[in-house]
Amino acid sequence: MSRDLAGVWLTEAAVFTLVVAGILAERPWALGATGGALVAAGGLVRFVPRLGAALAGAFARRRAAALAGGAVLALALPLALRSSPYWTFVATLALLYVTTGQGLNFQIGTAGVINLAGAAFAGLGGYAVGLLTVAGGWPAWLAVLVGPWAAVLVGTILFVPILKTRGHYLALVTIAFVFIFNILVNNLEFTGGPQGIKNIPTLSLAGYAFTTRPALAGVELPAHANFYYAALVMAGLTTWVLRRLHDSWLGLALNTLRDDEIAARCCGVSVTRGKLLAFSIGNFFIGLGGAFYAVVVGFVSPPDFDFGYSLVMLSVIIIGGVDSIPGVVLGACLLVPLPERFRFLHEYRLLLYGVVIVVMLLYRPRGLWPARIRRYR
Amino acid sequence: MSLLEVTGLTVRFGGLVALDGVDVVVAEGETVGVIGPNGSGKTTLFNALTGLLAPAAGDVVFLGRRLTGLEAHAIARLGIARTFQASRLCLDLSAFDNILIGMHARRRTGLLDSVVRRGRLVGEMRAAIERASHLLALFNRDLPRRGFERVGQLPQIDRRRVEICRALAAGPRLLLLDEPSAGMNPEETAELMRDLRIVRDEMPGLSVVIIEHDMFVIEGVSQRVVAFNYGRKIAEGSFAEVARHTEVRAAYLGTETAHA
Amino acid sequence: MPPLELLLQQAWNGVMLGVMYALVAVGFTLFFGVLDVIHFSHGDIFMLGAFTGLTVLAGLRAAGVGGALLALPLTFAASILVTGAVGVLAERVCVKPLARASPLMTLLATLSLGLVIREAVLIFYPRGADPKPFPRLLPQGGVELGGVAIRYENLAILGIGLAAMVAVDLVIRRTRMGAAIRAVAQEPEAAQMMGVNLDRTVDATFFLGSGLAAVAGILSGLYYSEIHFIMGVTGGVIGFSAAAIGGLGNVYGAIIGGLLFGVLQTTAAALIPRGSEFRDVVAFAVVMVFLVFKPSGLLGEKSVERV
Repeated sequence: MSRDLAGVWLTEAAVFTLVVAGILAERPWALGATGGALVAAGGLVRFVPRLGAALAGAFARRRAAALAGGAVLALALPLALRSSPYWTFVATLALLYVTTGQGLNFQIGTAGVINLAGAAFAGLGGYAVGLLTVAGGWPAWLAVLVGPWAAVLVGTILFVPILKTRGHYLALVTIAFVFIFNILVNNLEFTGGPQGIKNIPTLSLAGYAFTTRPALAGVELPAHANFYYAALVMAGLTTWVLRRLHDSWLGLALNTLRDDEIAARCCGVSVTRGKLLAFSIGNFFIGLGGAFYAVVVGFVSPPDFDFGYSLVMLSVIIIGGVDSIPGVVLGACLLVPLPERFRFLHEYRLLLYGVVIVVMLLYRPRGLWPARIRRYR
Repeated sequence: MSLLEVTGLTVRFGGLVALDGVDVVVAEGETVGVIGPNGSGKTTLFNALTGLLAPAAGDVVFLGRRLTGLEAHAIARLGIARTFQASRLCLDLSAFDNILIGMHARRRTGLLDSVVRRGRLVGEMRAAIERASHLLALFNRDLPRRGFERVGQLPQIDRRRVEICRALAAGPRLLLLDEPSAGMNPEETAELMRDLRIVRDEMPGLSVVIIEHDMFVIEGVSQRVVAFNYGRKIAEGSFAEVARHTEVRAAYLGTETAHA
Repeated sequence: MPPLELLLQQAWNGVMLGVMYALVAVGFTLFFGVLDVIHFSHGDIFMLGAFTGLTVLAGLRAAGVGGALLALPLTFAASILVTGAVGVLAERVCVKPLARASPLMTLLATLSLGLVIREAVLIFYPRGADPKPFPRLLPQGGVELGGVAIRYENLAILGIGLAAMVAVDLVIRRTRMGAAIRAVAQEPEAAQMMGVNLDRTVDATFFLGSGLAAVAGILSGLYYSEIHFIMGVTGGVIGFSAAAIGGLGNVYGAIIGGLLFGVLQTTAAALIPRGSEFRDVVAFAVVMVFLVFKPSGLLGEKSVERV
């Protein structure tokens, strides 16, 4: 019993330490050593079946403790990254990708509703925040809560295509949609044209601005720590809600619709309700990620939300595992920080994403953390 | 009392008449066999009954309600369940999930229960899995143990059983079986006949319509047989009567037994 | 309402664009015919064709081959060969292996492959992020016909484009390989039983389609006097749209669809306020409506899922 607990927490602490060391390592040899240690540990778990099985068993038996441990470490991350504040910002971005990725995965992975307009729906959330705060004078926190509904609302335009087309045709419709969105925001006056919307006010709650550097028992945290914690709550809630929806009648009905629409209909599943619900719920969370992005960086502009961004969101899902909720978290946590860590790779970032996706699809189509069988717990 | 009354049902594909003014009546608790050569309109009848196809003319009345114009999922909720000739299971999902979807229409918990009042959903799901286990165990006592495995990992005969369980899980009044013995060898077919008798013993009130090419299955399970040819009903009666019918012999037995 | 001459002028410009779109669309429709997949990186293959053409031209100029009459045919030939080979490679690596998986898989794989091609040009072509000037090799000047300015350059582009289409039509209708392509498109199993080599036929189809995209890429460079690594994204989406409007799998449909899309774009530009900026909004909106209400396209056959 307590051996399980020790195993779970020690594993988590070890991974955390290695990841933080990898991020902060300045000399190549130090980076190489931590990277090597991570790979070696991964290989050990993968290729020593008894160790792998023991750990998997421990994590399965101690799920609550594992989650609590993970939460504590996630909270401690800005503290550990104090010497390099930029990394707290990168971690915040990764959490934004978790949020949008979960939304997109609910559409594509769970329901099979192909949506290549993820960038447009994130953009709708972001632009809504920009317009509400800058032109409407709303407080940022209210705009972030309302912004996602813009994505849901505008998404209703696609309701008919979603019900009437499928597969490649639906892909084309959604690509056309993201193009239209981009041309419009690029050329309309009220969206600020190519400049976008600048000077979006920062989040503040009861007079406390999120750009203040928080201090914890005399220790100052990096400047982005407040945003990081807010993003952590957002990504955590999104993941929690979508996991519960996935492991429910709705998730089951959507999976059945995805795999065999005719069988689903003959079992009493309404195609209309299922697809539109999945699409709208997904758009809400994609829009939420976009809305939060707007207040983190303080501006929105057309290139932030172009077709290429849709493809990056998609990569998160494929690398993690289509229809896999923990997979999306893993995918975002790999895809966002890795190119930042290896700056010489930064130029090749998209090229590498593309290569990795093709290789994954050919050799590991279920992703790094494949979707599990539902247990309804 | 008749459960299902089909009158003058006509289905057209472009200029082709797939079903031509068909009348069929199914009584409660009755098993009706449907025979006929390939392309004679048997599966088309099922597709029209379940709302996958819109009939050009005719009426379908089920439990006193007109079904024409209803969507497939609405018809399913009224109590008509079916299987398909080529299996339509979700091979990536577990056997339990494939059966649970059959109970989807009768769920009591909603979206809110899935997220915040989780206990209610979990309780309902547990009961559903128990019921699925019970259904699986009727056919194969070892099958419930494999309920959380992907259905694609089960052998062919067990997949067919899962599909029948999915249809039964909906608690239907009428079960439509579209050639369940397709692709099975004689031993598997014998097992299937045993399975079908179990269904009848377990659910005496359930009406079944079964399409079959295998005459032993038809003879073994059905109380009444309807024969189709070129989209029309050409004969109806007991198996012996239909088998003696000259038009049936010419259209069906003549060709089918020749290469059986 | 703009004057008739302006509309005619825009229609003529639309035909010019349409010819290039049609060449890309034919590729989409051919690939769909033999493998039932949409090859989403085809747009970037089109871009690659343009860049290959530019590179060959630069090479020829360095070698002292300056005359357009010699340089252009060589450029087309070289670019068709190289781009066609890349197309076959793309098919072998990530279209064919996934052809039996769910359409989502091929969709994602080919989208990603397009990303790889695009980024590779961006990174590895010298100063790849900038638009590249494309030499004007076609005769300049023009005539006016009923108020419509017709440039010789455009006539030449039209002529080359039409020649390429006729050539493909002849290949498909008159050659053994063309017969094999048609057979595979109709009934792959039957075609194999009749002794058609499936792998070779698919390779040939991708070579043909990608070669056409190369022609379109070079024509696009000649028309705009400029090429850019990003041109494949819009080019691909328009090509797919054109193929879908025409009816996937139907070569003539793709040609009609390409011309329609071009004319739609240019007339929209003339008719709506700030048309040059918003023309694609109209064009894509029409495509969306078209796909919803006539998903089988103008000349396509509706496929019904078997129950």
